[in-house]
Amino acid sequence: MDKNELWQALLAQIQFNISKANFATWFRNTGIISKEDGSVMVSVPNNFSKEWLENKYNKLIFKILRSLDDGVREIKYNVTHTETKPREIPSSPPLNDVYNNSAQMDFAELKVDKETNLNPRYTFNNFIVGPFNELPQAAALAIVRTPGLIYNPLFVYGGVGLGKTHLIQAIGNEIAKKFPEKKIKYLSSEKLTSGIVSSIQNHSIDKLKLLYKDLDVLIVDDIQFIAGKEKTQEEFFHIFNGLYEKNKQIILSSDRPPKAIASLQERLKSRFEGGMIADISLPELETRIAILKIKSQEKKLNFPDEIIEYVAQNIQRNVRELEGALNRLSAYQTLNNRVPDIETTKTLLKNVIFSPKKTTNPDNVIKTVACFYDLKENDILNTSRRKEIVKPRQIAMFILREELKSSFPFIGRKFGGKDHTTAIHAHNKIAKELEKDENLAEEINLIKEQIYSI
Amino acid sequence: MKFIILKENLNQGLNFINRIAGKNLTLPILNNILISAEKNFLNLSATDLELGIKYWALIKTEKEGKITIPAKTLSAFINLLPDDKINIELKNQTLNIDCQDYQTKIKGLSAEEFPIIPKIENDNFIELNCRVFCEGLSGVVDFAVLNQNRPELSGIYFNFRKDALCLVTTDSFRLAEKLLFFKEKTNQEFSFILPQKSVREIINILSGKEGSLKFYFSQNQVMFEYLMTETAHPQIQIVSRVIDGEYPDYQGIIPKKYEAQIILPKEKLLNHIKTASIFSGKTNEVKIRLNPQKEGIEIFSQNPELGENQSFLQGQVKYSSAPKEMEVSFNHRFLIDGLLNIKEPEVIFELNNEDGPAALRPKTDSSYVYIVMPIKSV
Repeated sequence: MDKNELWQALLAQIQFNISKANFATWFRNTGIISKEDGSVMVSVPNNFSKEWLENKYNKLIFKILRSLDDGVREIKYNVTHTETKPREIPSSPPLNDVYNNSAQMDFAELKVDKETNLNPRYTFNNFIVGPFNELPQAAALAIVRTPGLIYNPLFVYGGVGLGKTHLIQAIGNEIAKKFPEKKIKYLSSEKLTSGIVSSIQNHSIDKLKLLYKDLDVLIVDDIQFIAGKEKTQEEFFHIFNGLYEKNKQIILSSDRPPKAIASLQERLKSRFEGGMIADISLPELETRIAILKIKSQEKKLNFPDEIIEYVAQNIQRNVRELEGALNRLSAYQTLNNRVPDIETTKTLLKNVIFSPKKTTNPDNVIKTVACFYDLKENDILNTSRRKEIVKPRQIAMFILREELKSSFPFIGRKFGGKDHTTAIHAHNKIAKELEKDENLAEEINLIKEQIYSI
Repeated sequence: MKFIILKENLNQGLNFINRIAGKNLTLPILNNILISAEKNFLNLSATDLELGIKYWALIKTEKEGKITIPAKTLSAFINLLPDDKINIELKNQTLNIDCQDYQTKIKGLSAEEFPIIPKIENDNFIELNCRVFCEGLSGVVDFAVLNQNRPELSGIYFNFRKDALCLVTTDSFRLAEKLLFFKEKTNQEFSFILPQKSVREIINILSGKEGSLKFYFSQNQVMFEYLMTETAHPQIQIVSRVIDGEYPDYQGIIPKKYEAQIILPKEKLLNHIKTASIFSGKTNEVKIRLNPQKEGIEIFSQNPELGENQSFLQGQVKYSSAPKEMEVSFNHRFLIDGLLNIKEPEVIFELNNEDGPAALRPKTDSSYVYIVMPIKSV
């Protein structure tokens, strides 16, 4: 008879000896934890039950257990906490009306899982797949099936507000659900850096290493921010290697491919490229419409198709902006109690759609390009012919011409009084290279995004 | 069992413990309290199997013994007796109560069936100042909320540090933290979560008492003990289970900086918010506006059916960066709840834009902070 059967047999007998109320109160959530050498350890839910069983029913329990199994010599009681976690979580508990009706915000920190840092809001169920993100999503699903074995590391990159964080957190959440025993950690690269800095301060770098040593899945968001931080890169290199050798899954995200992250050590770059690099590009119209429809369903809104189409057609480069536009429309609806028509939609979204998108200036372009390649503005503007400066300079000229339609003489003057032919040459050179080199196209797209995002 | 007791002492004890007796359907004996006459002391106990309370009073014991008596009946009856000595004797499971002209018999149940209130087998204790402790608890107790999904948030988080005891509660919309500094540093560092109900009982029973409180801690439960003023015997013991779970890392919630800080007279602020609340409608929304041209805050609320209200309250404003306009919406109830727990005449109100947490603090007391999240503005 195993220990569960033994306890069941005891419960079956004891119910005849004591009153129903007592039985229900004192024997609820009890069980046998272990049975060794005649000593039986009984688990009880709280101290009251412990006292009661020990003092009142001990003799009875002992007699019955003895009659079922004559090896029993001694009974001990121990308070154990019954597992309350696996209970299915129903959707938000009915609190007060006040909480439900209004847009009362809550502390986002409390929802985040303390161990893993993952936010349970991000799942695959609410991740919308289209041709623009099929590849990373497929890779993510493959990783969830066998973490650490196929694509390691997974490097996801793409522009702002396209769902990188959503995807990598969803991987974490899904793995946590499928393999509850796996240790998962999600970090922003800023957290990573500050952890390393403080452990250097406290001379406890070994402790930090121990922390990462036992992980099964490490997820680092916005890894591009470790660029230029030498010590962080070094420590991360060791952490990375330690995990990689043990076939532990590593997932990284960035706003640009590893090659384009300036001042990132070569050995890290090559490691980041060693697994799977997947990019999330811009969603096309159909996907944007699908996203809007799903989001408005989530918010229990019902907009006519023409409005959704209008929004999708006009907001192209950012999923987060799509959501923002939807929020605006829903606010209008709650305030005025009617669905906005196409004309109102146009006025409501004027700011979102036509706003600062096309306003930038030459100085801003130069600043952003310099920043992107980790150079000083002056480096680009002076006459140095070093290769690592020449190329950014040409790119800056190219963007000035393409985006701001500046004249070639003006561009020449801007860059320290150069001849207009220099500017023409730069423009032609980059335009030619663009046809062949996809990485360059990618880089220029990212720079443009940054120029307009400021 | 036979003893003589002063009505006042018996009545006080019954008031302390009878609130947790009762309301139990599965085990009817929990509706009773246990009366036990020991040498020189009468002991009253009640429990709901989560919380146990024991009370002792000095008596003249003629014969020791125990019995359980329905709590409601006994306390209602004793309450109405004249202030005098009461003679109590147990005969055949029936309590004979004799006081002046009253002769009463109340039927009881055998004490054998009454649950045993667990003891803490640990002699280590920490001494707390009873009054300060209860005041600290009452500043945070209201913000825990019964939430089936997050049992750890349904209690008060006690964090014993070397220099202070830190009390925290949150219902995920707001959070209150109170620090109680020790006079001498201790070596013990530990933390646990105590059910809100237990804390409410502690406040009910112990607030207003002077002197020190002994606190005992074990893995599954804690005990608070208050000694008699006359002799070194415990007068009250409150034993409670602790909530199983780990308290979330709340430190990240408390904002380290602010966009704008305003020092305001508390009573006036409370009045302004109460006024605004009349017009706030179903959403309870009250807007706080900052205008860099004015030294103070504007409070605004509006209800399409009723009308609107706008008021200005003068105060000292400090910006962390360049002064700018700001408009933040709050649930007025949350603001009022926080203000009511601040006892000083002036409060510090810190804002972090329309979607960041705001803080309320007493002006000169840094040990208390109340954090509240705004309502999303449309």
